[in-house]
Amino acid sequence: MSAVIQNLASFVGLMLMALFVENAVFTRGLGVSRLVNLVTNSSVDGVIFCSLLTLVLVISAPLGFFANQFIMQQQFWFRDYIRPLILVVCAIIAFFIVLFGIFLVRPANTKNIVAVLPMATFNGAVLGPMLVTATQNYTFVQTMGFALGSGLGYGLAVLIVSEGQRRMNNRSVPATFKGLPINLLYIGILALAIYALTGHRVAI
Amino acid sequence: MKDGRIRYLAENMDRLSRRDRVFLNNPVIMQGLGLAPIIIPATNIQNATIIAVAVILLLTPTRMVATFISRHVGDGFRALIYVLTACTLYAGVSYVMDQYLFGTAMQAVGIYLPLLVIEPLIIKRYGSAQRERISTSFKKGFVTTLGFCLVLFLMAGLRELLATGAIGGIIFFKKGFLPMAEMPAGGFILLGLVAALWRAGVNTFKKRISLGVKKLQ
Repeated sequence: MSAVIQNLASFVGLMLMALFVENAVFTRGLGVSRLVNLVTNSSVDGVIFCSLLTLVLVISAPLGFFANQFIMQQQFWFRDYIRPLILVVCAIIAFFIVLFGIFLVRPANTKNIVAVLPMATFNGAVLGPMLVTATQNYTFVQTMGFALGSGLGYGLAVLIVSEGQRRMNNRSVPATFKGLPINLLYIGILALAIYALTGHRVAI
Repeated sequence: MKDGRIRYLAENMDRLSRRDRVFLNNPVIMQGLGLAPIIIPATNIQNATIIAVAVILLLTPTRMVATFISRHVGDGFRALIYVLTACTLYAGVSYVMDQYLFGTAMQAVGIYLPLLVIEPLIIKRYGSAQRERISTSFKKGFVTTLGFCLVLFLMAGLRELLATGAIGGIIFFKKGFLPMAEMPAGGFILLGLVAALWRAGVNTFKKRISLGVKKLQ
């Protein structure tokens, strides 16, 4: 019983850590290029994008965990060099599982969802957390907690930056600062606030 | 500026704005690509050099090989082709960089080196419906690399100077006067300021050209 509670606490702890204290965007800048394009591009639905990203991450994280365990047990001299390839293959498997699920459920806007799926899969916010959990030797439960928290954390970042973008879209912002510059300044101030909260830099 | 040059620039400004990926349409400043490696690990010239070498060895070859494969496989899974090409090339690139160029110094950039394989700067081309020739992919890959490296070194030099008072080990000030420049928050804020200044420069340049043409008429 205590082992179950311990694992649950570990899962929730890592999830909350990845969601706030080690937010993928504000502390590691993972997937920030896509985020900046996402909030300035109204043709892509942020909710769909973040849901797909979280789904892909939660499916690929356990695959990545076992694949990483497997390659770490081998005596290949080149195992560190092929790790990104292995993890990307896990993300591709997750991509096809999600694609299959979409075709199975057939939501109203299937075409739009399928168009966004590659962007959500091949994203720093998917491969980044997988690399972090692999390099920092997280357990399976920790990996799952971190993956879920990272996906939700990315969604939170998109929400905050989109709202910021909406509020800053007025005449008082100089023309040269509009778009990318003001978004970067805004994310920077939020990153500074998180640093002030935690008091330390995360390991890269 | 000479009259003929002004006329040429004014007549071709739209085309030049699209093609010039170093100043007028820089991939980082104008398109927001390759932000993570610049904002987080590029805190000094040494780290910037490691990232720049990786991008030089990855970007153009990935684009060329993926273009070649896409022609024969079809457009259905272009995203997979670009990403898998980048991953496969990365295995060789990281081996060469680890064994012959940088060794343990590569640890300073952490996960940001393997993350280059899904960096939009390298694989963004998959989203474009238009097919390109291999020679075009070489040219575009090369100028995109140049544009990225320019901003990378500019930011790394600026951050190192502000945080430590030195650039590439050469001391300019006894100590840094903005330690925050080394932090991710500093990276975001400084890049935001540099992007605003850069864009202002581009706008001024375009305005001068259009004013110059009006004077000539």
